[in-house]
Amino acid sequence: MTPAAGAFLSGATSRLLPMSIPFRFFGAAVAFHLCAWLALLAGADRVPRFSGGPGWTLAALHLVTLGVLAMSAIGASLQLLPVATRQPVRSTRWPAAIWWLYTPGVAALALGMGRVVPGLLGAGAAAVVLALIGYTVLVAVNLRGARGMPAVVAHVWGAMGALLLTLATALALVGNYLGLSLLDHGTALSLHIALAAYGFMGLLALGLSYVLVPMFALAAAPDERQALASGVLAVVALAAAAMAALGGAPQPLRLAALALGGVAAAVHLRLMRQALRSGMRRELGRSFTLVRIGWAAMVASLAVALAMALGAGWAGAPALFGLTLVGGWLLTFLLGLLQRILPFLASMHAGQGRRRPPTPSSLSSERPLAVHFFCHLAALAGLALAIVTDNSALAAMAATVGAVGAAAFAVFFVTLIRRTRGPSKALPTRAPSGS
Amino acid sequence: MNAPGAKPRRWRDAEGEHIDVRGLPPPQPLVEILRLVHEQGSAGSTVIVHHDRDPLMLHPELAAMGWSAERLPAGPDEVVLRLELAP
Repeated sequence: MTPAAGAFLSGATSRLLPMSIPFRFFGAAVAFHLCAWLALLAGADRVPRFSGGPGWTLAALHLVTLGVLAMSAIGASLQLLPVATRQPVRSTRWPAAIWWLYTPGVAALALGMGRVVPGLLGAGAAAVVLALIGYTVLVAVNLRGARGMPAVVAHVWGAMGALLLTLATALALVGNYLGLSLLDHGTALSLHIALAAYGFMGLLALGLSYVLVPMFALAAAPDERQALASGVLAVVALAAAAMAALGGAPQPLRLAALALGGVAAAVHLRLMRQALRSGMRRELGRSFTLVRIGWAAMVASLAVALAMALGAGWAGAPALFGLTLVGGWLLTFLLGLLQRILPFLASMHAGQGRRRPPTPSSLSSERPLAVHFFCHLAALAGLALAIVTDNSALAAMAATVGAVGAAAFAVFFVTLIRRTRGPSKALPTRAPSGS
Repeated sequence: MNAPGAKPRRWRDAEGEHIDVRGLPPPQPLVEILRLVHEQGSAGSTVIVHHDRDPLMLHPELAAMGWSAERLPAGPDEVVLRLELAP
């Protein structure tokens, strides 16, 4: 390697967090993904008519939301937000400390929910809340000096605001389990679901898509004003949903929230379709099939919520809503993006000190991802059928298939890490002639 | 320097095909550079990139296309890269 190339690479890598920081979050997410399906298997008897309450079904839900979705969101945002804000994450100690607090916190919370141990649940919740407040501060510091990409920045600000409110409602719910009445349970639960799923995770997914989707499709950046308008509509929709939960004219506000959320989703999807259609890279493979299914489920979740608001729900409606929202949209969308972004980020890190990094495809592995793809979709379809037919045995079978898919995804992740850290000659693109 | 939303400036000299992506929002610099690299195809022309920051996301994409990047000396507020087909 020439001295100039070395200087370039050291300069380039100085803006990257060490690989161990984001990848510890991704690794934990992969592990919690498997745990979530196993917890769902343990709580399969309650899945078809689940509408809350402690037990393994609730634990599975939080292993997905906190363990997979939020965990990955932390790792991805710490790595990608600096691209949008043009501000590096200045500290490596904070993210590391957050991981050490957050990961055991999620495990304790899930165990406390699953085994119905209020003390463990409370201790886990306290650790999770502290860690997520630390994460919010870290992101806020980065956003404060942001230059450019106002739509992305606005979405992330919205997500951080929703996260803080989610944490407040989470404390109220945990307080209820511990015998402290901080807020009416039904009100806290309605606020918690809307703010966590559509607010924190949803706004983050919408906002980071404006960077990630054009980047992978090699398309122009989406129209800034339309992206901003979609974000503002989503935030107003959340505010209306929150006011409905707090009891002020609940039915009109609920319908207004769904209408505004539907328009926000439509604008977002139009921008995404434009990016995918105009991009230089048309073939985005299985990963973007999952992303597209995720987008369809986002719209479907609003349709199920509308049916429930209009009184057309039945005993399985809350479970179907949760499955569509969390499993169908957020989890499917995330897993689709993760299988594309992880090899890409690993390639960036593996390229340190080299003029030519290994290609992302040489670090990925196709077969485990294929197994995961079919198992994931079969598991979601099986769970939907289990809810519609009120069949616990079918739910158990679906959870088992989901666990196999999660194990395959874990094989993909371990292979990726092994190849990234492996000897140079193990990779075809690392031939001596390339340096 | 380009205005946000503008097309990148391009010109050619003895060093190769130049592209100035400074001031463009992400992922526009990545897209425009890769578009130019794609246009060059297997002809093997050198591409000189004028950027205002380290294009971290560019390198995996270049590697996938069989190209490599080398940083050239430049002013404090500029990053200049020479992109070539890897041997």
